[in-house]
Amino acid sequence: MRDKPVVIEVGDGAAIPDPRDEGLFTAWRISFFGTLAIIAYLVVFRPDPYLDIIKFLPDGIVVTFQVTFASIALALVLGLIAGLGRISKNTFFNLAASTYIEVVRGIPLLVQLFYIYFALGHLVRVPDMVAAIVAMGFCYGAYMGEVFRAGILSIDTGQTEASLSLGFNRSQTMRYVVLPQAWRTILPPVGNEFIALLKDTSLVSILAVSDILRRGREFASESFLYFETYTMIALIYLVITLILSKILSNVEHRLNHYERR
Amino acid sequence: MWNTDSTIMNADNPIISIQKVHKFFGTFKALDDVSLTVNAGQKVVVLGPSGSGKSTLLRTINRLETISSGSIIVDGQDVNDPGSDINRIRAEVGMVFQSFNLFRHKSVLDNLTLAPIKLKKEPRDQAEHHAMKLLEKVGMVDKAESYPVQLSGGQQQRVAIARALAMNPKIMLFDEPTSALDPEMIGEVLDVMVTLAREGMTMVVVTHEMGFAREVADSVVFMDEGKILEIAPPNRFFDHPVHERSRRFLEQIL
Amino acid sequence: MFKKIVLTLAMLLCVSSSAMAEKTIVFAVDATWPPMEFVNSDKQVVGYSIDYMTAAAKAAGFTPVFKNVAWDGIFAGLASGKYDAVCSSVSITEARQKVMDFSIPYFKVRQALIVAKDSPVKSLADLKGEKVGGQIGTTGYFAIKGAEGVEAKSYDEVGLAMEDLSVGRIAAVVCDDPVAANYAMDQYKETLKIATIIETGEVEYYGIAVNKGNTEVLDLLNKGIESVSKTDYVQEMQHKWIGQ
Repeated sequence: MRDKPVVIEVGDGAAIPDPRDEGLFTAWRISFFGTLAIIAYLVVFRPDPYLDIIKFLPDGIVVTFQVTFASIALALVLGLIAGLGRISKNTFFNLAASTYIEVVRGIPLLVQLFYIYFALGHLVRVPDMVAAIVAMGFCYGAYMGEVFRAGILSIDTGQTEASLSLGFNRSQTMRYVVLPQAWRTILPPVGNEFIALLKDTSLVSILAVSDILRRGREFASESFLYFETYTMIALIYLVITLILSKILSNVEHRLNHYERR
Repeated sequence: MWNTDSTIMNADNPIISIQKVHKFFGTFKALDDVSLTVNAGQKVVVLGPSGSGKSTLLRTINRLETISSGSIIVDGQDVNDPGSDINRIRAEVGMVFQSFNLFRHKSVLDNLTLAPIKLKKEPRDQAEHHAMKLLEKVGMVDKAESYPVQLSGGQQQRVAIARALAMNPKIMLFDEPTSALDPEMIGEVLDVMVTLAREGMTMVVVTHEMGFAREVADSVVFMDEGKILEIAPPNRFFDHPVHERSRRFLEQIL
Repeated sequence: MFKKIVLTLAMLLCVSSSAMAEKTIVFAVDATWPPMEFVNSDKQVVGYSIDYMTAAAKAAGFTPVFKNVAWDGIFAGLASGKYDAVCSSVSITEARQKVMDFSIPYFKVRQALIVAKDSPVKSLADLKGEKVGGQIGTTGYFAIKGAEGVEAKSYDEVGLAMEDLSVGRIAAVVCDDPVAANYAMDQYKETLKIATIIETGEVEYYGIAVNKGNTEVLDLLNKGIESVSKTDYVQEMQHKWIGQ
């Protein structure tokens, strides 16, 4: 009685390397070490302007990570609530979650960012970073909601029935039996959303949040070195997403232990 | 010998009382005016062709299926009364499924201890001690640390029985426990069930295993098209079936 | 044979028509800078600079085409030849003169500090530890960066900085004075005010930026600007757009 592995459609995150890929030359290694080599070459042999550019970016990298981690945390919470809402038998909760997902998915991310950022500005006085994080988290929460829903539905109803028959109530069943198993199905798409979100944080530079991209643009607008600056920005984003995709694939591999042993 | 004793002993003490139950799936009538009482310690085997409603009947006992009308009283509590604590009732009624349904993310031992620890607040070492005794009973001690996917179907079903027993239920429900097994594994599961029966457990078993029914059952219930057509001791049912459809069913099976 | 005749005729037509027609100069405009250049309610790019260049075109004999382009990257587009010139309130600075050529100045500008109406701030020096916004790559933004202890925050459009200022996310905005006047006296007259005109030491002038060595375009522009600057039309435009 082995369940068929459930595959959830992946979005526009990075390709997650398969940890079983053997051999010296994997796509991940070529991209990662290749990118590092190019950065090293540029910084060592053409310090003017590449060293100057890279020196200009660190606080932007920090901001990008802050926005990413805070947004993903918010998105996971909202996503779990929305996902549970979508499968809930409570009409109000179900309808609220479905409406949230429908509305958010129907509006381009950039438009939502602008909307939430400026609308929020008129309602409450929050710092720009917080406004950007709320906007990103709110949007990605809807995407996560669908991922959670699919993950929960991928768990055989027999698991739920077995848990109920032992005397667990619905929420205990969700907590002890369904969600711990759903993580296995949910993690790859969540990892993808995480990387997609990290890349999409570049959109918050439009909201004047000083992330990697905005720092780079500030440098370019002053030095007029557009090509060189964007080259470095692209390389740095690539290094970050490659590292993250590697970490995620390892975590995923670990989480699968009880299926593989 | 033992089965007649227990029946007589508890003759006026029904632990399960099903009265005039109807169940619809849309317009399809899954249960049609079903009434059945099971006394404490009794072993009831439910037979019938597939689609006859026997699994549905079993699942209404712990409300995995709700009913359209009628009443079901388990150990003095109305299963479908919104006022009764269904989770408490379910904890007293162990259930074994056709597809085992072991928790795939938990080891064998953790499958057994999860409910006692979380629901009964048993200390872990006490729960594990109890779990190991149950695993010994079903012959699965050496697989305590294994995960469900590493076990054969027969092994999984024996663990599933032990898991249900870990909550010390008063009643055990078996929903076609051997139907998903390869033939060579059926025996090991039936052996465990026979042992359990000998210990006096109240059991309601939906199965196609006629040998088990003959050996263990106090009474056999025959269902077809959502109705109970015949309730009889196994000898009388198998040797002198009263209803015409019972006869036809036995001819096809035996 | 017939083909040859047609081809020859076509070529002749081309040559003659291009010789007769005026030179077309394509200007890149970031039309988010009222009243100098912006998009009006009829979705047309209008403003002081636009009127000025249209007049200059008439005087010097070229056809102006205005192309609305985002500010960030406007000089990269010039360098890659997407248009001939940038007419977008570009202050003539030393750094910019290193990478491009400028026409003669057509407007004198200073940097204004805009704050909330109830703010006691009088100068950039009062804003230590505060966030001050400006449009990315503008002289206003560079002035903020040059001010000690002030956190500079760059925006794609000056309007976004004004919005953030009005909701209190930043403490002040620095931009060209005609633009500051437009925002503080018009759109945000209830919430914002001009605190001061920043003395940067040097006077700033707007010029039209072209690629280095593009003398053909530059000569036409200079000819046009020079003749317009001598007319009364300048006062007329001042009155129309800036109200002074």
